[in-house]
Amino acid sequence: MHESNEHGHPHAEISHTERPGYYEIMETAVRELLVEKQLIGAGEIRRQIEVLDSRTPALGAKIVARAWLDPDFKARLLENGRAGCEELGISFYDDTGLIVLENTEKVHNLIVCTLCSCYPRPVLGLPPDWYKLKPYRSRAVSEPRAVLAEFGTIIPDDVEIRVSDSTSMVRYLVLPRRPEGTEGFTEEQLAALVTRDAMIGVIPANSPAAENAP
Amino acid sequence: MTETRALVERLPNDIGGVKSAPIQQVEHELLPWEKRCHALADVLDFHKIINTEEKRRGVEALGAEMVNALSYYERWIVAFANILFQRRVLTPTEVARKMDEVAARSDDTSPVAKA
Repeated sequence: MHESNEHGHPHAEISHTERPGYYEIMETAVRELLVEKQLIGAGEIRRQIEVLDSRTPALGAKIVARAWLDPDFKARLLENGRAGCEELGISFYDDTGLIVLENTEKVHNLIVCTLCSCYPRPVLGLPPDWYKLKPYRSRAVSEPRAVLAEFGTIIPDDVEIRVSDSTSMVRYLVLPRRPEGTEGFTEEQLAALVTRDAMIGVIPANSPAAENAP
Repeated sequence: MTETRALVERLPNDIGGVKSAPIQQVEHELLPWEKRCHALADVLDFHKIINTEEKRRGVEALGAEMVNALSYYERWIVAFANILFQRRVLTPTEVARKMDEVAARSDDTSPVAKA
């Protein structure tokens, strides 16, 4: 992994020019009162923001690529998702468990949180808005084929679709199928084909042909 | 089946399987305060002050009207305040006074603040 070049500089100008709104003022007030009462430390929020910023789908993609290349690792990952991630140096900053769901010729997995927005944040970062909104949460469990079609994903009728509903303690990650034509690819080349949405299960991993298309 | 039966059987968050609109693939970069609010949720969880499930229930307890009207992180911060009031960690008066102070402070500093 190399440093991104465009995001190294601060974007502070914007945040100072607008008056904070009602809810932003409430957030600041609650946070400062908790610090004054010594219930949380002043630096903890800043440190946690750094942790949140460090979590992106690149971590999940690395896990998927390793699982494609190393059958023993894949077996351990499917046995205990969290331990498998930790084996690759990806720590969990909360006490959630992780179950990795493998897509096969016969099974396609999809993850959702019908009650709120539970998501494998340590390995994917924060969820997209659509994952947190009513249409996806309500329909993923009752009409997953229609939902997948809206993402452009058509699953053949003889492939079973399994939808896993996340909880505050158990999160899921989809292990997509390895695309055709990737024999001899390195871990980095494979990881580049694995998107966030493929690990949610709404699309397959990119094929190398699509990746090279202009 | 009465009109109210659905209200009893489904709290506002319990929407799995309910009919809904097509999916709009929307996403946005979090505003700085939204990211702070998310970090605050994590820190409250680490300190066992408010855990993830308590937060979810706190949002649900806002009721359907507020849940529908407020944005995601607006719901979170209001839920945190309510839970902290119930636990007697904070009082509404304290928060109101601190909010006045924060608002006055930003009025004082925003014209001269420089990045």
